[in-house]
This record gives sequence, C-alpha cells and structure tokens, in this order.
Amino acid sequence: MSNAFIIATNAVTSADVAAARLGTRFGRMDLASQLSLLAVEPFAPHFDSFARDRIAIVLAARAGSLPTDVAYWEGRDAVGGLSPTLFTYTLPSAAIGEIAIRHRLTGPNLCFVGDGHEILTEADSLLQTNEADACVAVFTHVVSPALTQKISLPEAAHACAVFIGPNGPGRAGFGENRRDMETFCANLRALKFTK
Amino acid sequence: MAIATSELKAKIIESLNLQDITPEQIEDEAPLFGAGLGLDSIDALELVVMLEKNYGIVIKDIEEGRPAFKSVRTLADFIEARRSS
Repeated sequence: MSNAFIIATNAVTSADVAAARLGTRFGRMDLASQLSLLAVEPFAPHFDSFARDRIAIVLAARAGSLPTDVAYWEGRDAVGGLSPTLFTYTLPSAAIGEIAIRHRLTGPNLCFVGDGHEILTEADSLLQTNEADACVAVFTHVVSPALTQKISLPEAAHACAVFIGPNGPGRAGFGENRRDMETFCANLRALKFTK
Repeated sequence: MAIATSELKAKIIESLNLQDITPEQIEDEAPLFGAGLGLDSIDALELVVMLEKNYGIVIKDIEEGRPAFKSVRTLADFIEARRSS
C-alpha cells in the first residue's frame, strides 16, 4: 500500500450469519452475500466521513458463485420451476450489489474470482488514481456441502473485509496502520489455507 | 374452501425467506409491494413459483397476477377464485 490507510477490518463466519439480524431482506441472500454484508457492517459509521459516490467496493470470491450455481442447478426439477431469487445470486458480484444497496455506496466496483490478494492492490490503485476516496475490500470463501461433492475443496464459509482510506493528517500513526494490515492479511491467509 | 390468510402469510414468509417477521405482523389488507411489506419484482416472481408449488396455480403472464399481488387478502381471493374455476 503506498499512501492508503486501513480504517477498519473485520472477519466473519457462518456462525455470525446465523446470529445476524439485518432486516427482512437478509434471509433471501445467498451465503456469500450474507457473509460479505456482515463483514462490512461494522464499517458503516466510517462511511459518513466520505461522499458515498466516492467509496469503491472491491470484492474477491475464491469459489465465485459456484455454491449458488450448484443450488440453482439442483433445483431445476422443482415444482413451479427454479427459484428466481436464487438466480439473482448466480453471479459473485451480487454481493457487491447488496453492500452498495445497504450502504448507498455508488462509487466504482470490481469483482474478482480467485484468491483475495489482488483486492488490496486494486483498492490502493483506485485511491491512487483518484477514482475513489475510500474503498471497501472484501474477500469471501464459500464452499457448500453440495459443492464439496463436485470439486476438491473442503467446506468453507468465511469472509473478511477491510475499509481503506487515504492516509493524511488526523490519521493514526503507521504502527496502527501496519497492525491492522497484518490482521487483515492474517485473515486472508487463514481463509486460504484452513477449513 | 376459502384459504386462510394466516396460512398464506406463513407460506409467503417461508418462500421469500423473510427474517424477523411473523404472520401476525402482516396485515391482511397491507400492500405486499412498495410501502407495505416492501417486496420487489424478484419477490413477485418467487410468489408465482410459490403459487404453483403450493396451490397448483400457474400464472403465465405476470400482468395477470398483478391485481392479485396487491395484498394478502387479494392473493387469498385470487387463489380461491382460481381453485373454484
């Protein structure tokens, strides 16, 4: 990170989703969107420090939308047809939309399928090129039980997120920045290498 | 036989995965979309699926079902009318 500042970080699991209460709409989302939304939720008070159209969202989903794709495919013979709601989540970028809607963030957004390392670089780039004043970066890793039957990945349901803003007067020292960055990177490593 | 609105409300909550809301909290005459329950166009499609799955009612044209989706009461009346036709 060149001149960016880690404002806040968070990590969540499926246990957090079970206990979450984010309104009536939360239940219809796929697990990746629920995890993404929960991971970002503590950042809400910080969003008021920026114009909402200057806050970007960068998200990486390690398994893309495969868990939802499998659920959708397995419902193809259901009476009444496939679930229209489920269909809307057969894109990994759906989670970005849910975050944007809930927090009214209308800045640029990027979605990646794969490991989350590029999201920090991209978030930093958005700030350096002045395309955004702050950026929410989210990494999700969801492998459903049904998906484990089709690909060789263990079951997983995690997300971690970081809110990045420009460094400058009023920010804490580099030590704080570095500690938060290390926490976030540890979360990334944990999501990649553990169940 | 007239469909019980309490039963219909439970099926709406189940099919739409609505959280933190009970059938008792949904008024029979309250709008399902917009200001009332706050449902959207995706929910409308999900309700069409729910009608076929639970009541065997097929709506091929969403415009056909639009008047029925005004409230729980109009939806219950619609189901009853389609069943008896």
